[in-house]
Amino acid sequence: MRDFLKRHQIPLLITLLILVVLLVYSANLRKKTTTTLFERAVLTLTEPLQQGIHGIGSSIYDLWNNYLSLVDTRQQNITLIKMNRELRAKLVAVKEIQLENQRLKKLLDFVKADPRQVLPALVVAEDASSWARTIVIDKGLNHGVHEGQSVVVAEGVVGRVIKVAGNSSRVLLVTDASSSVAGLVQRTRTRGVARGNGVHLTLEFALRSDPVKRDDLVVTSGMGGVFPKGLVVGRVAAVHRDAFGLFQRIDLIPAVDFSRLEEVLVLLETEP
Amino acid sequence: MKGMVLHLLCGLIFMLFQTAISPHFLQPGMRPNLLLILVIYLGLSESFLRAAFLTLLLGVLQDVFSGATLGLYATVQLTVFLLVRIFSDHLNIESRPLLLGLVGAGTVLQALLLGFLLTTFAEAGSVLSILLSDLPSQVVFNLLAGWGLLVFLLKLQPLLGTRQGMAGLSHQSKHHGA
Repeated sequence: MRDFLKRHQIPLLITLLILVVLLVYSANLRKKTTTTLFERAVLTLTEPLQQGIHGIGSSIYDLWNNYLSLVDTRQQNITLIKMNRELRAKLVAVKEIQLENQRLKKLLDFVKADPRQVLPALVVAEDASSWARTIVIDKGLNHGVHEGQSVVVAEGVVGRVIKVAGNSSRVLLVTDASSSVAGLVQRTRTRGVARGNGVHLTLEFALRSDPVKRDDLVVTSGMGGVFPKGLVVGRVAAVHRDAFGLFQRIDLIPAVDFSRLEEVLVLLETEP
Repeated sequence: MKGMVLHLLCGLIFMLFQTAISPHFLQPGMRPNLLLILVIYLGLSESFLRAAFLTLLLGVLQDVFSGATLGLYATVQLTVFLLVRIFSDHLNIESRPLLLGLVGAGTVLQALLLGFLLTTFAEAGSVLSILLSDLPSQVVFNLLAGWGLLVFLLKLQPLLGTRQGMAGLSHQSKHHGA
């Protein structure tokens, strides 16, 4: 018996250990939620080690991911920056189209409301000098444009065509110093001549006795045969009445913002 | 002939810049008159007949792109050119500050001539007040443009080659008397 035990002591010991462990296991099966003293001791001892190792592991992981394993990141970054730039450009283009759409819609409403035949045109250039106020549009003789035709936008009168080429024309703005428009104050029916002074207009020869007030609307009177009747010229900004004289001088703010002129309409039949 | 075409082409580019590009960025009173600078440069650098003919063509070109009457700028530019020509014989044209001074004086002279012609021969209303109110900014921006063009010309000089009497290019004097 002793010989047998001696000869097979290792397998027997292992079997015995397995049996003990099995017994412990089966005994603990019923108390799954109970932490044994052994478990608690081991957990308490290993906890700092675990945390330390976890910290080191995390640092190594971060180091690898954030600094060493960045083979594609630069390329990705370049691609993303490019995409971002393209998207921004598209956004600007969309915004531009949106604004253009708004402006064209306003012009379209004006065209629908006006029975006259009109030709839409784009403003392509401005005057080469600092004192003259003219613009160049992209429609000319080939499109039926002639000298003397009126040019308008939805807000009001822009000017009249003074030079025409095949595919472009030059328009003298109402704000030019050499431009004069026969106008009348809508409320009082006071007639006058609106002359440009570079930025604004001045209504001259308006009878002094007429009670023109600030913010009164001035429209074209149709006299003179250049501009059709009823187009908005501007609003009264100030009225100057001297102590004597026949006329009063009226400062007008043009209805059209000439610094933001992009699309205009040429009135092909300018019959007053 | 090649030089004339080159100057005319230059004038055309200047006109296109003034009418189609600068209005996007600058208010009317702040847009430099590049053709005036070119005319002053021609007055100092080219032979009399050639420069006079070129000035006339450039003036007409400016009339096409500006105002309502053909011949106004042709008259003004020729007058400016003639005055520059009269004084150029008494001036050291290689001096860059002098060239810029002439651009400033030319701007004032041009505004006065325009004002005189427009109020005397045309019913131009308040054009004189527009010209005078814009004059200080016009002088400043013409000087800046003149300085910029001079710097550009100096950069281009190796390509253009050396020729006697080119305004503002001081080291042309090496060839004087050669």
